[in-house]
Amino acid sequence: MSMEMPTGLFQFPVTKLCMISTGAVALAASVSNCKYLFIAKYDPFISQYHQYYRLAIFQLGCINETDVALIILIWYQFRSLERLMGSYKYLSILSLAFIYTTFSLAGLNILLNKLLPWKIWNSLSTGSLPLVLSMFHFFKEYTPEIYQFQVLLAQPWSKKANKKQHVWHLNDQFLVNTLIALLLLNQGLVGITCGFISWLCGVFIDKGLFPGIERWRLPLVKKFFTHDSHASRDVARDNYRESSDVGEEINAPIRRYDTAEAGNTNSDALPLDDENANDEPQRSLGVQFLDTFRR
Amino acid sequence: MEIDGNTLIFIVIILFLFLSSPGGDGVSSQYEFNQLRSLKSQWSFEYDSFQNMTFNSNFQNVTGFKLSYQDVLSDSNINATFPLPSKDYDHWEQNQNYAVLPDEIINKVKENIWTDSDRSSDTNVFPSNIPGTLLGEIDLVSNDKFEQIPMPISKFFEPPTEFSDTTPPSGDTYMHNWPLYGEFHNVTFEVGEISIQITHKDTVSDRLSQSNGKLFNSQADKWKVLSLRIDFSDKNENEKHFMTTNAIYDVQRGRILLMTQSAKFHSLLAIPHYMGLQYQNEDEKMFNSLKKLVKEYWTASNFVESLTMTDLLELYDNAKFKCEYIGFLQLEPWNKYTPDQLKMIDDELNWPLGRPANLSSLPPLKLKSGILYSPDCGIELNLNNVKGKRYELQMRSIRNHLLLGIGLFAAQIYLLLCQMQHTNTPSRVNKISFYCFSMINLVDGSLATLYFIAASVLPQLYLPLVLSSFACFILASIFETRYLISVYSSQFNERNVSIFTLLRGNSNDSENNRATNATDNFITPDEASISGTIYGRLLFMLICFTLLTLSSTSWPRNIRMVFEYVLIFIFNSYWIPQIFRNVIKGTQGSRQRRSDGSVSQQRQDEMPLLWKFIIGTTIIRTLPVAYVFTYSSNVFRHHKDVKFVIILCLWLLFQISILYLQSILGARWFLPRMAIPEGYSYHRAMLSKELLEHGVSSNFTVDCSICMSEIAIYVDDVPETHDRDIQSFMVTPCGHIFHTHCLENWMSYKLQCPVCRSPLPPL
Repeated sequence: MSMEMPTGLFQFPVTKLCMISTGAVALAASVSNCKYLFIAKYDPFISQYHQYYRLAIFQLGCINETDVALIILIWYQFRSLERLMGSYKYLSILSLAFIYTTFSLAGLNILLNKLLPWKIWNSLSTGSLPLVLSMFHFFKEYTPEIYQFQVLLAQPWSKKANKKQHVWHLNDQFLVNTLIALLLLNQGLVGITCGFISWLCGVFIDKGLFPGIERWRLPLVKKFFTHDSHASRDVARDNYRESSDVGEEINAPIRRYDTAEAGNTNSDALPLDDENANDEPQRSLGVQFLDTFRR
Repeated sequence: MEIDGNTLIFIVIILFLFLSSPGGDGVSSQYEFNQLRSLKSQWSFEYDSFQNMTFNSNFQNVTGFKLSYQDVLSDSNINATFPLPSKDYDHWEQNQNYAVLPDEIINKVKENIWTDSDRSSDTNVFPSNIPGTLLGEIDLVSNDKFEQIPMPISKFFEPPTEFSDTTPPSGDTYMHNWPLYGEFHNVTFEVGEISIQITHKDTVSDRLSQSNGKLFNSQADKWKVLSLRIDFSDKNENEKHFMTTNAIYDVQRGRILLMTQSAKFHSLLAIPHYMGLQYQNEDEKMFNSLKKLVKEYWTASNFVESLTMTDLLELYDNAKFKCEYIGFLQLEPWNKYTPDQLKMIDDELNWPLGRPANLSSLPPLKLKSGILYSPDCGIELNLNNVKGKRYELQMRSIRNHLLLGIGLFAAQIYLLLCQMQHTNTPSRVNKISFYCFSMINLVDGSLATLYFIAASVLPQLYLPLVLSSFACFILASIFETRYLISVYSSQFNERNVSIFTLLRGNSNDSENNRATNATDNFITPDEASISGTIYGRLLFMLICFTLLTLSSTSWPRNIRMVFEYVLIFIFNSYWIPQIFRNVIKGTQGSRQRRSDGSVSQQRQDEMPLLWKFIIGTTIIRTLPVAYVFTYSSNVFRHHKDVKFVIILCLWLLFQISILYLQSILGARWFLPRMAIPEGYSYHRAMLSKELLEHGVSSNFTVDCSICMSEIAIYVDDVPETHDRDIQSFMVTPCGHIFHTHCLENWMSYKLQCPVCRSPLPPL
């Protein structure tokens, strides 16, 4: 493994899913004019209208375009987590963090508002800020720092020999840190509060205080990822399979070779060499899409 | 031309002259200045007299209200001058002695429309905001029973007759002096359709300063100022009338009073008197409250000072070409809601937050009854069954329809990609009909333009409209046009060939033909030039077609309907060109294919269009038409015609079934065998004379230029070779010989002879 993460999203299905859905949900909500569904405010939605569904879905869509951009960028930076855990475990932990942050934020919010006479905490953050913040703990915990660098800030045009110099120590994670800080500040006090609680959730999940990190795996979706991991293991073989006509025949030449040796007949040439059958290699939809512009 | 500083300054000045319009009040000559000054003094003079008016005093010198109905009845040649001798200016009663309405109309309003029972029962609840478009029927009650009240236009409105004129003439002109009198000033149909578009005028802006509008109405719980646009016409839309007017909405009683305004009818100042039509002299409070409303409107809009030349011309045009109307409308109450619920509904519609307002069960805005009366033309019209959705709800449902439309476009893009993947060799693309996809492409392209135009007209729906336009544009100009380009380039070598030759498969067996073909050996142009041609053609067609469609919306109904039906029918015949193409190409049916054997032959003979694509495209393209024609309350206000949809569906089904039969029985199953000419056969015997050109070896074999191995040839005049398989080699029309196997593979990529590049007839 190299130290640097590869750029792009090849073999990062969960990261891709997170990035695309963050943008797509926001776009769809804005086009269909139902962004308001993702606003979770205790008063009036919970106390007056009893719309508890808002507490369940407030993390799914962003209201603010800046949040959309920031969260997409942060998901991209978090792809090292997917590489570390593998797609299936990453998705499971994401779902776990989603459940825990949703419950703790919604529960705390309702509890505080019911117990205390004055409303100090009315609205929850919008967008997947809680989820991102709880994964931020994992990111800081498990991603090694690769390099550090210093930024020297000196007073310009100063004649003194011993100028005062400010030194900033930064490391390769400063981009993520900055993005997270922007995300928190962008939603004001609410963002910071919700972010802190969700970060704690992340810590608790990691330390096992919130159970499930070892055991919990999302049901029903495993088959998508096992297939993918298989494909990633031998890309070369996969390419070969794509070039041959039928996917099933991946092991066919070997088997046929065995039978040929057993029967000792060389008369029938290997059918895979039949140019009629595969004169045009099968192209995937993506390739076809690109070919539209290329050809 | 070199552009230096002087030229640039010159260009800027010229542009400035062209683009600048008279700013401010739009006055551009001394004549117009005087016109505008006369108008302003007229209005402010009348407003002064309005300010002295009480609920019990008559109109004095207010334009349009100088005569009452009784005055005209007693002397039909009377002129509207002030003051009239023997006219009582100190009292006001709600009858024809004082008002411009005849007693019959006043009584009708009292008894049938603004009934007193509404007032006594204060339980009725009316929505406080009623924006929306109401549709319904309008009946003519009478157009000759009532006397027409003469309403003069001041002469200063008239345009100057000479260039040197500086002062407009004074005095009045009457309707019968105008050249076009009569044509526009009558309603002749019995029954027609009406649409009333209601918008609220809660804020007004001082038009000259272009500042933001400010709220002016301090009694918004009682009165609302509306702005109405009323269109009515007969069913066939031969006679159209439209007007834009201000109106007052009585929120507590659900009453709407509308009065048009023009140079001959200054109705703004008459609102307090006519709104109180119901009550005899009693409701001083109401009169004063309405007077306050008019005052507030007047001062907030800075009415006199903000009058411009545009207003002047508009007032003049309205006066000259239209009748004045007074309308009394009564809204149906929404008694199932409490005022609190109504407020929540209003809030939710204005600013959706997901309040529990249950908007889907919101009743339509409906007029219980209504009457339009024109005092200067003597026309009485009755409104029936006028109703419509709230504006915000209407927008919502349009938005949902647009989103569904985007889904359809996405499905179409997916299907097209599948289709493109299916036909990825020139030989297969060659079998696709160019015109089939041109038709589809034209429809999609013009939809994209129409959506784009609509997006600039409807700012509320900007986002979904632009997205639809984008999806449509991607589909039309990228995917479909790309596909068209590849189809076009694969069919380029058939351009100068007659259909009959194509039917035979471009056989050039006669020597003569071959000679011409050799000289015609044109080189297929590269894709860049083809795409240039096709994009240009597409753009041109698009612009023409879109303009035609847009202009067709203003045609009379009969012509428009014929145009629409023909157009829909033509554009739903998109499989017909493909059927012809199949016939020309003569693909074999699946039965023959099964008996034929060879894998490559089967691939060559498959139908060029995927069944998924055919059926999916048909459904995607028929669904919107079916919706518009069968669902009576559709968002486009299109009429219902189930029969047409059924015919259209049958027609499409017929096309698809022919395609299906072609895929089973062969493309030319419906042609008699005699009509089908013999196609070019690649498998033919050679003559030894011909073979000499190919450098034949002694045992009558030649080298295949593709695989460089020997081909054993069947030679007609050499009996020894007659045991050789004639199917094992192919002879091109240009006389080159290859292995069947080799040439078939090559031909799935390119329909050109590998040796001399002359076009090859497809298999």
